[in-house]
Amino acid sequence: MCAEVEETLKRIQTHKGVIGTIVVNAEGIPIRTTLDNSTTVQYAGLLHQLTMKARSTVRDIDPQNDLTFLRIRSKKHEIMVAPDKEYMLIVIQNPSE
Amino acid sequence: MNIYNISIPRYSRRHNTIKMSIPTAKLKKPTLKVTPSSRAMNISTSGILRLNRSATYARSINASVSRKSFCLAADSKILEKSSVQTPKHTIQVLDENGKDVTPRPVYQPDPAAVQSKHSKIFASDTSGGTMSDFYSTTYQTTTNASFAGAFTRSLFGSGSVSIGSQSIMESMSEEIEDPSSKRDNSISLSDVQVKREEVKELIQEEMLDDMVDLYLVESDTLCLLDMPAISVSVDSMEAESVKERNSRYTELCKNRTGNDKYMGRSMQTFNGASKTKEVQSEAITMADAATIANNWDMYDSFCSAGQGEVDLSTDTDKASIAEMIHQNHGPTRTMERTMSVISSSTIVSSSSSRMEMEPFVVPSESKPDPELILQSEEFQQHLFVMERIILENIYQPKLAAYRQLPTLEDPDSMPKAVPMVVSRREESSLDEEGPPTPALERLWSFSCELTTGRNVSSMAWNKRNPDLLAVGYGQFAFKDQKPGLVCCWSLKNPSWPERIFTCQSGVTALDFSASSASMLAVGMHDGTIATYNVQSREKTPVIDSSDCVHKHTSPVWQVRWINHERALSGEDKGEALISVSADGRISKWFLRKGLDCIDLMKLKRTRNDRFKRQVGEKERKSEALISRQAPGLCFDFHPTDSNIYLAGTEEGHIHKCSCSYNEQFLETYQAHKGPLYRITWSPFCSDVFLSCSSDWTIQLWRQDLFTPVLGFMSTQRAVYDVMWSPKWATVFGAVNEGRMEIWDLGASILDPTIVNPASPGVKLTSLLFATETDCVLVGDSDGQVSVYQLKNFTAGEGTQVGTLEDIIGSTLASQL
Repeated sequence: MCAEVEETLKRIQTHKGVIGTIVVNAEGIPIRTTLDNSTTVQYAGLLHQLTMKARSTVRDIDPQNDLTFLRIRSKKHEIMVAPDKEYMLIVIQNPSE
Repeated sequence: MNIYNISIPRYSRRHNTIKMSIPTAKLKKPTLKVTPSSRAMNISTSGILRLNRSATYARSINASVSRKSFCLAADSKILEKSSVQTPKHTIQVLDENGKDVTPRPVYQPDPAAVQSKHSKIFASDTSGGTMSDFYSTTYQTTTNASFAGAFTRSLFGSGSVSIGSQSIMESMSEEIEDPSSKRDNSISLSDVQVKREEVKELIQEEMLDDMVDLYLVESDTLCLLDMPAISVSVDSMEAESVKERNSRYTELCKNRTGNDKYMGRSMQTFNGASKTKEVQSEAITMADAATIANNWDMYDSFCSAGQGEVDLSTDTDKASIAEMIHQNHGPTRTMERTMSVISSSTIVSSSSSRMEMEPFVVPSESKPDPELILQSEEFQQHLFVMERIILENIYQPKLAAYRQLPTLEDPDSMPKAVPMVVSRREESSLDEEGPPTPALERLWSFSCELTTGRNVSSMAWNKRNPDLLAVGYGQFAFKDQKPGLVCCWSLKNPSWPERIFTCQSGVTALDFSASSASMLAVGMHDGTIATYNVQSREKTPVIDSSDCVHKHTSPVWQVRWINHERALSGEDKGEALISVSADGRISKWFLRKGLDCIDLMKLKRTRNDRFKRQVGEKERKSEALISRQAPGLCFDFHPTDSNIYLAGTEEGHIHKCSCSYNEQFLETYQAHKGPLYRITWSPFCSDVFLSCSSDWTIQLWRQDLFTPVLGFMSTQRAVYDVMWSPKWATVFGAVNEGRMEIWDLGASILDPTIVNPASPGVKLTSLLFATETDCVLVGDSDGQVSVYQLKNFTAGEGTQVGTLEDIIGSTLASQL
């Protein structure tokens, strides 16, 4: 089980255009990251707030709904966030590379 | 539980039922009463007390020394002491006149009024049960004894008594703090002791089992407050009198003014001197608490409270509180969680456990271990989805092309790719020589490091999910065999297969079942047939034919799931797995106590004789054949009639067979000079089929003619695979070693319409058309399955069924 997870993580990191992969736990402490610490912490903190807000929005409209995935496409990158109760998976990709 | 509460007797002095009143009253005036009657009483009680003490010792469990000292506690003890001392010096209070003003006890205990029942009750109580009771009594006694002590001291100043009482007090206080020693209530309550004493003599072992009657009697009602009603119902009996009174009163009031009987007079009263008193208290600290109750917050709390799952919410509270306490990084996060805690607690007010929770510091066990996170199912799922999304980003144009969606130009991407496409279009439109030429565009290829170096031997689409592709990897040649591999690829992830199954020997044939869409049948080079369930994550086959007696002994070159609508017998209905193998048998497999097969046909060798079918004839002496079976290489069932099928052998013969006859062929078509690699019926014309072989040719046949209608040859390479296009009746694709060709009979019957050469050093081995889009998949010997899109392939009037028949007709006509 764990090996599969490791493999998948490695594969994700080696896909074309992927700049970084971050896994943070519920408190914002990074568990796995391929970026440097300051960037990781910055991404984790900011994205956590945004995810909370997004989730709040989704659930305000319909409380039975819940946020499953969040993608932010910007000029340079695309940031993809998979939120969960206990962790958050963040991948930054440059899709047009 | 204890109805013998000491506080009650205070008020219910007159109750005879609760005898506890007696000792309490007595407690008020310990030591000091030395009336003759009481003295006698004392003596008697003390005497009895001594007895009692011994009796209590007999009864008690702990015979501690402290107990003994405590036995002297309270009024009875003091009594005893005084009674002990009484013979020596009676306590008497005399005023200056010599009058005996010794305070008498307020209440004289009346031994005659003993109610043994009550004491029995008392006696039968366990000491433990009445311990709380005893505490209260001892407390009382302490206070009273302190009073007593003080009093004695102040009055007599007699050292012995006071000291004694003090020591008694001390010991009592010690005793009171000591919870372990068992006390009998009888110790403090002399009267009760008296009764108890009597009772004790009676109560022996056998009496313990008797039923004890408890008598509860209602005491007199005490009226503490009486507010009589000021209104009376109209229907009540007093109504009349009340009304009369009321009317009289109004009369009176009316007559009052001006009446001499009534005089108004005023009085002055003394006002009490007022005194201001100030009190200072600590400032009341106010704290502001705010919360935002979101829609979903309320919904969550409602759900969790309504289901009675308080634990769930307390868990979240726990977790959130733990985080708050552990000082997590993002301050807003704390706020968010605090807010949710507060909001949930304000809304759900019912549970007391929540109230307990809040000030509680929870240890960090609720914080999930990083390892646990990484191994959790949700994380895997998220990774899976994330990978697909990343790949979608990468492959989006290609996948869109596959799905025949317009490709979106990324507005932010570098425009370097754009001009090239534009130029090509410009070129092609500049040509203006006719419709743009059909071409193949390579979209992507399914490959990963597991598959490199392996030869793609077969491919099959899933019947239910057209995005799932199963690819089998195995060498064709006998010499370089290695363990085979089956990969299930999904269109959404071209870089890593969804399922990987390793097999003992090279995989040579694959087919997905139509009825149970997750069953995949695999035929292998060593003759084994296995079925896998692709839905599960297990790496082992569901069933394997290696234990079967009749298993194939040579490579299985094709497997197919065939649905027999018209069954021969009851069991044959439904889907069956048919396989053809190089040992010359076409077998039908079914599950009966394990996988077993029956032979539909044994492919017997036929001599290459165009004119006669020779079945079972003896071979000429000059030909010494190794076996009488001809290795079968391919077969195909008729698209509409599932009883008829064609089988191709290594000799180059095509046999038309029927499931009903397993001895003879219906027809034999002989044209090829080499092993037949593929036979396929046309999905549009039910009479027409194609065959390809290693003699570099592809032949088009019609069912009723024994010579092929058309033959196609483009290069001098063995043609490994041929397949009709599922969309156009006149189009088929073929793959030979060096290149891939798309033939369009409507356009030309001599040359392929599209030719795509293979990369150097790589042989193309298999071909598969995609069913819903016009894409072609080509597998090669390097383990890659490339996806090509047919571009500019117009489905004009040149691709219809009628056209095909016309072509055939015209060809035949021209031949004749």
